[in-house]
Amino acid sequence: MEIGLIAIGAGLAVGLGAIATGFAQARIGSAGIGAIAENPELTGRVILLVAIPETLVILGFAVAAMLIILLGG
Amino acid sequence: MLVPMAKVNIVGHRSSLDPVLTSLHRASLLQVIDVNDDSGVRLPPLTIDDEDLAAIEDLRYLRARLDSLLGLLPGAVGPPLETGPVDFEELRSELDRTGPEIEELVGRLDALRREKEALPRHLESLRRLLPLLPDMSGLDDYETTALLVDARHAGVLGELNEGLTLDLEGNFEMVSDRIDPRTIGAVLIYPRHAAPEVQRRLGHEQVSRVRLPGEYETLSFREALVEMERRLAELPAVIENAEDAVADFVRAHPHWPAARRAVAGRLDQLGAIRRLGATSHTFVLSGWVPREQLDQLRHHLESEVGGGAVVHEAEVGPHEEPPVLMRNRAPARPFESLVKLLQMPRYGTIDPAMLMLIFLPLFFGMMLGDVVYGLILIGVAAYVRRRASETGFVHDLSRVLIFGGMWTVVWGVIYGEYLGDLGHRLFGIEPIWINREEAIEPLLLFSLAVGAVHVVLGLVLGIWQARQMKDRHKLGERVGMLIALIGLFAIAGAAAGMLPDSFMTPAIAAAIVGVVLLIAAGGVMGLLMGPLEVMGTIGNVLSYLRIAAIGLASVYLARVANELGVAAPLWLGVIVASLFHGLNLVLGVFSPTIQALRLHYVEFFGKFYESGGKAFRPFGADDTDQLRPTYQP
Repeated sequence: MEIGLIAIGAGLAVGLGAIATGFAQARIGSAGIGAIAENPELTGRVILLVAIPETLVILGFAVAAMLIILLGG
Repeated sequence: MLVPMAKVNIVGHRSSLDPVLTSLHRASLLQVIDVNDDSGVRLPPLTIDDEDLAAIEDLRYLRARLDSLLGLLPGAVGPPLETGPVDFEELRSELDRTGPEIEELVGRLDALRREKEALPRHLESLRRLLPLLPDMSGLDDYETTALLVDARHAGVLGELNEGLTLDLEGNFEMVSDRIDPRTIGAVLIYPRHAAPEVQRRLGHEQVSRVRLPGEYETLSFREALVEMERRLAELPAVIENAEDAVADFVRAHPHWPAARRAVAGRLDQLGAIRRLGATSHTFVLSGWVPREQLDQLRHHLESEVGGGAVVHEAEVGPHEEPPVLMRNRAPARPFESLVKLLQMPRYGTIDPAMLMLIFLPLFFGMMLGDVVYGLILIGVAAYVRRRASETGFVHDLSRVLIFGGMWTVVWGVIYGEYLGDLGHRLFGIEPIWINREEAIEPLLLFSLAVGAVHVVLGLVLGIWQARQMKDRHKLGERVGMLIALIGLFAIAGAAAGMLPDSFMTPAIAAAIVGVVLLIAAGGVMGLLMGPLEVMGTIGNVLSYLRIAAIGLASVYLARVANELGVAAPLWLGVIVASLFHGLNLVLGVFSPTIQALRLHYVEFFGKFYESGGKAFRPFGADDTDQLRPTYQP
């Protein structure tokens, strides 16, 4: 039972982070493609901006890993 | 490395202006700048006389004409022949003479190709209608119109029949039949004098008739069909002849690309005149030259124009910023493209290409980490590298991936991964260090350690750079951040029992000192921003967990591929496993590349990188002026 709850918690930590990242990247990505169409020199900066929200899911992953390693035994 | 630049003033007698510009253009060593840009010296600009203005107009016309003609000619854009000086007058008369000829040749070739594409469509319509067409021999007073109607709108034919019965009092014949599941074909036969009424009725019912190309309009449908088949059979040979004629023309004018370059070069030279300064007898030209090539420039100018001009090294003004030229050893050169993808570094700052050579493929390999994937990647990237042009982004990226592939093999051996766990299953190969599937905790800690080292290295570089640039604000900020970070690492180490408890007090002290330094460097805003920046930097270190996360995703997908492969019969298993491994490899190349780039751009560069430099563009080597073929056979 307890292990199941830990697993659900870990899944939520990664999943919710991934959803948030997806929302942010969708908006940044569409605006970024528009910017690249106007000025292809912005490609590098757009990649950077699109990649920034990924920190959310990585932090979710860190939380999930801590839950599993520290509580899951 | 960013190449040190020297600012030079070239002073000469006005009579030597033309040879000096020609010589500098050929040398391609100097970036010409506006003489009154921040130099402290104010000189009246050199005015362009009417003769040069007329020459500029003429040359622009020639360039546009050559561009349009070369754009039409396939295969004419190659390495330009060295033909010596170009006589622009002669070139102009040649272009005026031969231009219409080539335009006609290419126009004809285009028309033939369009005809070859269009004929099969007309033929198909005719063939489908043929069974409905009556033999019209001896009915010269009658006309035939063929119709194709979408089967979903079949009712329109009934309405047309009713309408025509009213209009022509039944003096017509209409035959219709379904010629394929989606189309109904119909043929109308009516007296020639009733043609206007029929057309009006067709327009009213919005039914379009089958139209034949102009040259077949006077023929009956059967005759047109035969004629079209004959034409289609002869077209390949006709097109080949027309292509040969164009190719002959290209062969007869091999000097045009070189002439185009000469025209563009001369335009460049005349355009540069506006940027020069002048006194009553002399001209002054300012520019930037790589310092190591300053002597080369002097010798070049002396050997070509003798005493006509003198090169002086000038003082660099306080607000002047030299252009940026990156020059690295061969292995680091492809990484210059990745740096430029972000933005050029500012002059006098650190060129991160060499650092990217060290870390980017390493991170890539840590994420993908599979011997077989690495070898496949090296093979594919080497193939792409051979096929891509020598200087393009794709060529550079393929070289980066070759380095990444090498590290992937190394980490694959360390993790003991050969197509995931297949090496272990088949041959019992064990990892040298850890099995990523099982030892998740050491993998996460290792990723964090790599992140800590990378971020600290970035901060150390940032401190060195701030010191070089005498920027006390950034220096204080980065030193404070480094001390705070070291303090926090020590606190974490002591709390986790990796360091003795006695470390705890100095570690807390270091963290507090670091934050205070950060706040002090930031002024009033520092009170808020200092602690936030520390949090941000810890986030940066945590961000390196993606190395472990992406790697784990790749490991599990490879494992799924192997499990599915084992579950099915051998032949099916091999196919399924290959598909999954292929998918994993594609994802495994794309994702680690983007993530490794991001770790550099955001986490690493953020600590020291100063962007905003302007690229060095030597006079005479403008690559934006390259010809681009617009027409391909």
